[in-house]
Amino acid sequence: MDTKNDSHTALGTHRHSRREMLKHLIVAGVALPSLSSLLSGCGSGGSPGATNSGSAPGAQAEVARPLTVTYYDWIINLHPAIEGEVNKDFALTTPIKSQIAPVQGFGIERFVAEARDKMSSWDVYVGMTPFIEMSSLVEAGVIEPWDNYIPKEVLDDIIPAIREEGSINGKLYNWPFFVDVIVQGWHAGLVEKAGVDPEVAPKTWDEYLANARKVSQSKAAPYGCTFDAHGWRSLAPIAHSISTEVYTPEGLFDFTNAAAVEALEIMRRMKEFANPNVLNPGAADAGINDTPDEGVFAAQQAAYYIKYQNAHRRFAGTWPDPGKLRLAGLPKTAGGVGGSVFWTTGAALFTFGANKEQAGKYMRALTYDERIWRHSIGKSREAVGHMPPYTSQWKQWSAKHPEWIDESTFLIQEKMASSRSIKANRFGVTQFNIGQPYWEKYLKGEEADSKKAMQQAKDAVMAEFKKAR
Amino acid sequence: MPSNIPAASRSLFDLRRQRIDGSNILTSSWFLLPSMIFFVGWQLYPILRVLWLSFTDYHFLRPNDAVHFIGFGNYGDAVRDPVFYGGLWRAFMFTLLFLPGMIFIPMLAAILIDRVTQPKVATAYRIILLVPSMIPGPLIFVLWKWLYSFSIGPINYILVNVLGLFDLHNAPQWLGDPNLTLPSLTLMEWWWGLGFHTMFFLAGLGAIPKELYEAASVDGAGEWSTFWHVTFPRLRPILLVLVVLRFGSAMALVDEYLIMGGFNRALPTYTWTVYMWEVAFNLWNQSYAAALGWLGAIAMLIVVGFLFWLFRSRD
Repeated sequence: MDTKNDSHTALGTHRHSRREMLKHLIVAGVALPSLSSLLSGCGSGGSPGATNSGSAPGAQAEVARPLTVTYYDWIINLHPAIEGEVNKDFALTTPIKSQIAPVQGFGIERFVAEARDKMSSWDVYVGMTPFIEMSSLVEAGVIEPWDNYIPKEVLDDIIPAIREEGSINGKLYNWPFFVDVIVQGWHAGLVEKAGVDPEVAPKTWDEYLANARKVSQSKAAPYGCTFDAHGWRSLAPIAHSISTEVYTPEGLFDFTNAAAVEALEIMRRMKEFANPNVLNPGAADAGINDTPDEGVFAAQQAAYYIKYQNAHRRFAGTWPDPGKLRLAGLPKTAGGVGGSVFWTTGAALFTFGANKEQAGKYMRALTYDERIWRHSIGKSREAVGHMPPYTSQWKQWSAKHPEWIDESTFLIQEKMASSRSIKANRFGVTQFNIGQPYWEKYLKGEEADSKKAMQQAKDAVMAEFKKAR
Repeated sequence: MPSNIPAASRSLFDLRRQRIDGSNILTSSWFLLPSMIFFVGWQLYPILRVLWLSFTDYHFLRPNDAVHFIGFGNYGDAVRDPVFYGGLWRAFMFTLLFLPGMIFIPMLAAILIDRVTQPKVATAYRIILLVPSMIPGPLIFVLWKWLYSFSIGPINYILVNVLGLFDLHNAPQWLGDPNLTLPSLTLMEWWWGLGFHTMFFLAGLGAIPKELYEAASVDGAGEWSTFWHVTFPRLRPILLVLVVLRFGSAMALVDEYLIMGGFNRALPTYTWTVYMWEVAFNLWNQSYAAALGWLGAIAMLIVVGFLFWLFRSRD
């Protein structure tokens, strides 16, 4: 009891003198920055960026750290040769560290937040798609052009349309790694069962739909066709098959363009033979990926399929016989240009990163390495179908088809000449999200007039575009 | 000083007051510091920061641009924004579906479990009911998304392949049909929250004196009359807490919607919270998103005020 009282009194009556108070403050003043640096050291977990906090870009380059490359996870998953072979070889001459990027759902907030503090934990980001996030990264000063670090012969080797896609004001911000093109693919077995020649690609949309109807009516498969309902994967590519001039002066997709309206009408006819959940969102990346069409095609429930070529290849890889897959360019309308939509996935160079010279060397090594392409466009079941972006590679392979390459790759590559990318801006993807409820009314039969639906979509996009400026 | 404090205690009271009033307050402040840092840094600062943002033209992608005070400009845009209103309405519709079941089903479950006299059986019921509450949210959403899947979900498998009630062309689209999406989500939320909410009511039921039931029985009150006049009034404070809490969380739901519907604006899952998210983190117009957030919060506070009035003490 006494002890308790004593301690109570000691605690309760002790007063801090000014001297003591000052002493405590000094101690705290010294301790806090020490604690702060200690915590930042712990927090970085060896992350090279933490040591660069607050330093100027020039100073960044002087910080000794290995070339630090971060990848969107699916790139590492789909291209095991990156870590297993290419990086290992590169590390023989240049220290390199690879990490998975914190970019779920194409989110760039971590990169932007670091750039605001004039730092970057990484030197290169592999996984950027120009029309999705490139313009935002440039606007925020997160990335800088590659022009000072890409050799001229490499720059000139990039397929011109791809170079244009990755450039802003003539400067290359996206070092292209691989290309995806929206194409048609079909299951030869199901098509044959429906009495259609499996070796002949539908040349027009009318033929495509007639074939899909035959599949559906013959019950060769539950669904004649399927597609990904995201606008940049269906509406825009189908519109490009009619005309690639479907953009407003601001660089937005012009929903009221005649080609866009006709594309919507084609989609409605396709929907008749498609899986009923074709308009539903996907299961991953906030609905963007793992879309219903993928499951249906993988389960051999749909014969014809419109999407980027790597989807066909990946999901046909789950069939008992992947050799049944056939690929070709998109059909077109009478008088249509026969184009499609392509996009590149490439690398961004962080403004506040380090090792920029080495970054250029790495990207060159990565993108030209044939081991990547043997896996990607080879004949194996695991091939993902991503295509290289350089003219020289295609020239070499076209002159003499390598025995390892899948022949359909050449058919898709031919389409590149008439295809076009979606213009890169902050609304690149979001414009399609905004317009979706309006054009889907037409697809669902809630709106009978396609032009009216597309006008509503355009009005909604323009309203948000003006507000966002 | 209160006059009814005994003399012996009075000196202690004086001593304590003296200590509190004296310069020792500085010493005491050190002990308050951790919680103050948490409160200010974790709660107060973000609220004030978002309030400040909502009156500016701040843009996340333009760190070098000067930030200007634009008054109620963002609020003016927001009150004229049909996507925001549509989103609020969708969230309200979900809340209307969700709230009654989330309150009354657990109440019913609690009343039934409260009558179980076998202690082991009563404990078993409690544990089984609590299991879903212990599963992390994202896992629940992914699990139910699979259950509801059109093509591979067990529900449709039973309906199509086992019972033959539907085929692959007309099977229900639990998360794709606008008429089914919100009820499907509601069912998931009921399942998830049943055990947790039942525990609240069990605690409330345990606090009701048994004498009241005995008195009601002596007076000849039946089951319904006893529930209505004895049980229900004494559960009212718990009802208020749950209704207010769950109203707020239902209106502000976002993770379920993002996982189930993404940014698909054609679906009922595209509510004002998802819109706010898209504006803030896809279009980076965070000052406008802040105004949307404040307007949504104000709309919710008005309803919460009404709920407090509705459940006010009538004693």
